[in-house]
Amino acid sequence: MTTVSRAWGRLTLPGKIFFTVVPLLLVLGLGGLIAIMLLGPLVLQILGDNLPLVRFVIAATAVLLAAIPIAFLNIFMEMKVIAFMNLRIGPDRVGPWGTLLSVVHGLKVLGKEDFTPTGADRTIFTLAPVVVFLGTVMSFLVIPFAPGLFGQDFNIGLLYFFAVGGLTVVGLMMAGWASFNKYSLLGGLRAAAQIVSYEIPLTLSVVGILMLAGTMSLNQIVLNQSGSFLDWYVFQQPLGALIFLIAITAEANRAPFDLTEADSEIVAGFATEYSGMRFGFLFFAEYVNMFIVSALTVTLFFGGWNAPFDWPFPISANLDPASLGIGLLILVAVVPLIGTLALAAPFWLMRSSMPTWQALVIGFVLFNVLAVAAVLGWAFVSWEWVVGLLWSMIKAYGFVFFFVWLRGTLPRVRIDQLMNFAWKWLLPAALLNLFVTALAIIVLGR
Amino acid sequence: MVTHSRQPSADDPRVLLDQEIGVFEPVPPYPPRTEREAEFYTLGDGEMFVNMGPQHPSTHGVLRIVLKLNGEQVVDLDPVLGYLHRGVEKICENSDYHHIVNQLDPLEYISSLFMEWPYVQAAEKLLDLEVPRRAEYIRVLSGELNRIASHALFMGWFALDLGGLTPILWSFIERDEIVEMLGALTGARMLFNYFRIGGVNGDLNHEFMSRLGSWMSRAATQIEANTKLLNENEIFVRRARGLGRMDREMALRMCVTGPNLRATGVPFDVRRAHPYSIYPELDFDVPTRTEGDSLARYLLRVDEVKQSLRIIDQCLHQMPDGPIMARIPRLIRPRPGRAYGAVESPRGQYTMYMISDGTDQPFRLRIHDPSFVHLGSVGRLVPGNLVADTMAIMASLDPVMGGVDK
Repeated sequence: MTTVSRAWGRLTLPGKIFFTVVPLLLVLGLGGLIAIMLLGPLVLQILGDNLPLVRFVIAATAVLLAAIPIAFLNIFMEMKVIAFMNLRIGPDRVGPWGTLLSVVHGLKVLGKEDFTPTGADRTIFTLAPVVVFLGTVMSFLVIPFAPGLFGQDFNIGLLYFFAVGGLTVVGLMMAGWASFNKYSLLGGLRAAAQIVSYEIPLTLSVVGILMLAGTMSLNQIVLNQSGSFLDWYVFQQPLGALIFLIAITAEANRAPFDLTEADSEIVAGFATEYSGMRFGFLFFAEYVNMFIVSALTVTLFFGGWNAPFDWPFPISANLDPASLGIGLLILVAVVPLIGTLALAAPFWLMRSSMPTWQALVIGFVLFNVLAVAAVLGWAFVSWEWVVGLLWSMIKAYGFVFFFVWLRGTLPRVRIDQLMNFAWKWLLPAALLNLFVTALAIIVLGR
Repeated sequence: MVTHSRQPSADDPRVLLDQEIGVFEPVPPYPPRTEREAEFYTLGDGEMFVNMGPQHPSTHGVLRIVLKLNGEQVVDLDPVLGYLHRGVEKICENSDYHHIVNQLDPLEYISSLFMEWPYVQAAEKLLDLEVPRRAEYIRVLSGELNRIASHALFMGWFALDLGGLTPILWSFIERDEIVEMLGALTGARMLFNYFRIGGVNGDLNHEFMSRLGSWMSRAATQIEANTKLLNENEIFVRRARGLGRMDREMALRMCVTGPNLRATGVPFDVRRAHPYSIYPELDFDVPTRTEGDSLARYLLRVDEVKQSLRIIDQCLHQMPDGPIMARIPRLIRPRPGRAYGAVESPRGQYTMYMISDGTDQPFRLRIHDPSFVHLGSVGRLVPGNLVADTMAIMASLDPVMGGVDK
């Protein structure tokens, strides 16, 4: 034993990692190979028999996994954008340009003590973040990001979204009640009042779209908006879009409607007594929710994954390189150069301390990564997925930016103003929108 | 009525051992001492106590307010003071006349110069001292700068208590500029310890003047741009308008001074009403507003900043040459007697009343702080409002807890 441990102690850190990881990989690889050879056909058989279930499980896993980087990105965006609006620098220590700070935040939250306050209802207190997180993330499932790229295409997709998204308020109320804290209680009650009130104009504002589209499937709604940007529903339903945007801001508990966690009034609202990863879940859910409501706004009103105009250079998958002739040579000779320079320019401009060659190297590497991603997307996924994902992400993050911008600019409304606004203004406006839409459909005979 | 059993001490850890673990009720561990206390600590139907502070994220300083809530509405409230009490008045009675300036600074940690000013005024009256004109100009100049710094911070705070995130950081930029230049002048960024009996501690220096020059050239536009974020914001205006409305009668009866009084329409400014220093020679207006609500208090302070800029401009143009300190002995023994000093601070009228018995220490130094008076009116303004506005109303009165607890 001493011989082994002494030899182990003499190893450097890379050596230690190497001599643990490589045998492990060998064993796992060999074992996996044998398992696949023995059990492969059987497993494939079982999977093939339950294809819808398998699809659902894969989609749910993918959605849960996607939620984490999305939340990290949103948190980073919130920190950095608000910092710029406040004329601060914001995070700039961890990772390039502070990009890894939200990862560190996640680790920090994991490392914190996870305590339950005395007198709290332990079960409900523990369950509340789970309900909030699940309610948020599962509403992700129906949002289409590219043609054919969605978790599930229900024919009642929008209804599912509102139903599952409405679960979060139950979680918030559970958190508020179980914390055994009056500030939490106030926060939970505010959440209940606010979200339930805003659900009504929110739902009514999309009924106009449902009447126009004739379907509740989000995928179909996006398909209906294909063409140029004039076909987007925002131009047929401007009032509906406005009401929807306001109501969804309140629904996502974002400023200026972030009354449930108003720090200058009720400390942290329902999250006052939470710490550690439970708080992390509540926090995560909020930021994932911000992305989801942005994606839903884009899906319903801004054409989803449709490009705002016809792509001027149609790239079809069955492109024949031979037909390009001398054009191919130009393409190969010019595009990498321009791409490298274009990607290097922002880095070179942003940091005066960066030497030119460093910026060029970064640009070259980035261009290669993008080129490989594009080729892989073209070859293995489909070009539509890549372009659709690009457009839907650009639009969705545009709205994430919009929500962050609101947070940086506006003070908070009072609870009575909030309620007045929902019931006296938004609800009649939504009904008016509904009425006008119905009238237009009848008169124009669509 | 909530009943209490007599307990050894609220801090005794043995108390916790016997106690049944339950919700913390902010009820004092002794039987009510006054009728008012008994009335306040009796819960009505559907009411609950909420303990706001001293660790609430938006209390200004270490103030604790026990709120009696009915739902979201504040029924009644009870401010609990004393978390910052250090007995400064008593310490001053045992300090040399020169040392007292240093003791007074932390009472007003936002604009320290205005706490030093009434003291040196009172001491100079006792000594029948003629302060050099240059010293008076420097006092006014630095004081008005400090007033702008304080008002800038107020605007940010007020917005922060209404939920705005950005204004506080923008106003801190302005405040930081001013504090940096005052730091160059006085040697400290926060507790300046700058005024002396008979003058000021140091003459204007190059760094101060260059910082001031570059700041003055853009101060007006900068402050205008900062306030635009709030003044033209519908949510802010709708929340602040009519919030914590104080009428003229009430303000006068509660001895409210400063911007809070002028926002109710009373044009009382110590600088004009009981002129001191070189203020009679300077040309500035006393802005007033008649609404008396939080918005009026906020807008009035914006106007005051503009007037302060005017005063600074005049000071810089009329700055005379000469000494900055009167010739006074190291050890001061004023004649026995009483003296009164009052200045107009960003918060109101700071007053000191000093009794000398002929020794080198004052017999009695009474500090009157307007923040204390203004906090007293919170009990009138807040009940009936929502819990969200409690801190906003308090912020609109702009108290500094250092002077409240002394």
